[in-house]
Amino acid sequence: MAHQKIQHKDVRNNRIVITGIGVVSSIGIGKEDFWQALKQGKSGIKPVTLFDTSSMQSKLAGEIADFKAEEILGEKGLRNLDRATKLALCASELALHDSELKITEQNTDHIGVVLGSTMGSVRSISEFDKEGIMNGPRSVNPALFSNTVINSPASQISIRLQIKGLSATISSGFSSALDAVKYAIDCINSNKSSAVLVGGAEELCEQTFKGFYKLKLLSASRKNDKEMICPFDVRRNGMILGEGAAFFLIEKLSSAINRKAPIYAEIIGYGTGFDYKSVNRYRFDSCGPDKSIKSAITSAKINFSDVSFVASSANSDVKGDAMEANAVKKFFGVKKIAVPAIKSMIGETFSASGAMQLAAAVLMMKNQFLAPTINYDYADEQCPIDCVPNEGRPLKINYSLVNAFGLTGQHSSLVLSGGRI
Amino acid sequence: MKANSETVIEEVRQLVAKIIETNPAKVDLDARFEDLGADSMMMLEILVAVEKKFKIEIPESDLPKMTSLKEIINILNSR
Repeated sequence: MAHQKIQHKDVRNNRIVITGIGVVSSIGIGKEDFWQALKQGKSGIKPVTLFDTSSMQSKLAGEIADFKAEEILGEKGLRNLDRATKLALCASELALHDSELKITEQNTDHIGVVLGSTMGSVRSISEFDKEGIMNGPRSVNPALFSNTVINSPASQISIRLQIKGLSATISSGFSSALDAVKYAIDCINSNKSSAVLVGGAEELCEQTFKGFYKLKLLSASRKNDKEMICPFDVRRNGMILGEGAAFFLIEKLSSAINRKAPIYAEIIGYGTGFDYKSVNRYRFDSCGPDKSIKSAITSAKINFSDVSFVASSANSDVKGDAMEANAVKKFFGVKKIAVPAIKSMIGETFSASGAMQLAAAVLMMKNQFLAPTINYDYADEQCPIDCVPNEGRPLKINYSLVNAFGLTGQHSSLVLSGGRI
Repeated sequence: MKANSETVIEEVRQLVAKIIETNPAKVDLDARFEDLGADSMMMLEILVAVEKKFKIEIPESDLPKMTSLKEIINILNSR
């Protein structure tokens, strides 16, 4: 992939850029495979094989069916790591490799790791407790205990990559990964870190799947609807879960220039908003997303009309998609801006979703091409937006907005600049 | 327990090799687990795995003694 020609107009000291990308997803592992699949509108949704779904009407997910962590990480040291940790390790390893940054004794104290994750330990906690309850406390494997704490994947990344600086985990539901990016930026700008590996990771597991199913959030979980993920389409009837991890190396622009690193995009704005009326349900009222989008654009010091596309958070929830469409319409007008929803291909990856959308947005900017929203056949008047239906298309892109909205009240947005860095 | 039978020795050898992530052929009767790359967490894992396999309880005070395959067999023999 050819990097855009970058122009170093103004090397202020607090400009943060993305210099490495690592993705592990149900449609491709590594940024190239991920991008080719996105571009072609490939679906990663398939029947679940990780656990038995026979007792449920929902049976599909964006599972990474052939995930083999050892192909990226080598054979040793993986035996006791849970799936979420292995996903995070692979994506962070790929991002670091992509950034061409070498971790040395001289720089390791100033390299950080920040992970957005919320459900990553649910299966491990459940399995550990089940073993103790069924076979007695002496039977539990002590080496598996560390998987039950939510900060374990971030720590494992630091251990494996021999990183001695900041290690943090941000757990704020659907917006975790974007909030992790904001935390990482603050750590760099306060000189606590010079570069941070930041991202999100979630595994697909029976426990999470059943939880979402019981809350009737999954497609086909309410009645005999066809199980499908079709953001913004009038047939939508709930989300389909996915899994994966995406990581980025971020650092100051001056640092990236000094080490002649590949620069993908600059992160120029962040906003967040909490809707306290949202309790395990999306609301058509978009007050949280409104605040998130408005504060992100304001902090980026650009106009709404400067934004070329919105990397959407829509996941095929009836109210959730309408909520985002409502917010987009309010600020960008009716069908005036492209709003591709990549969850149509990879499913709802929860805490990792912000990182997935961020990776997709960066790659769309880099390639000046919009990925499509697939499975879009029937328009919904509640979602009067251009979601780039079914086929991608080229577009001149300078700025983009990345949304990570959820049903737990927390909403966050990020603004990227890809042109004049 | 008649732990010095070849079957039991082989079962423990396989179990230890899996935890230490090494070739079972390297787990000689006298080879020290530490020399094979075992850390303190792996030693605890070995103790729990042996307990589970042979449905016995090994006091944690025996953990420092479990330094080789031979020592584990001795502990099993003393049950």
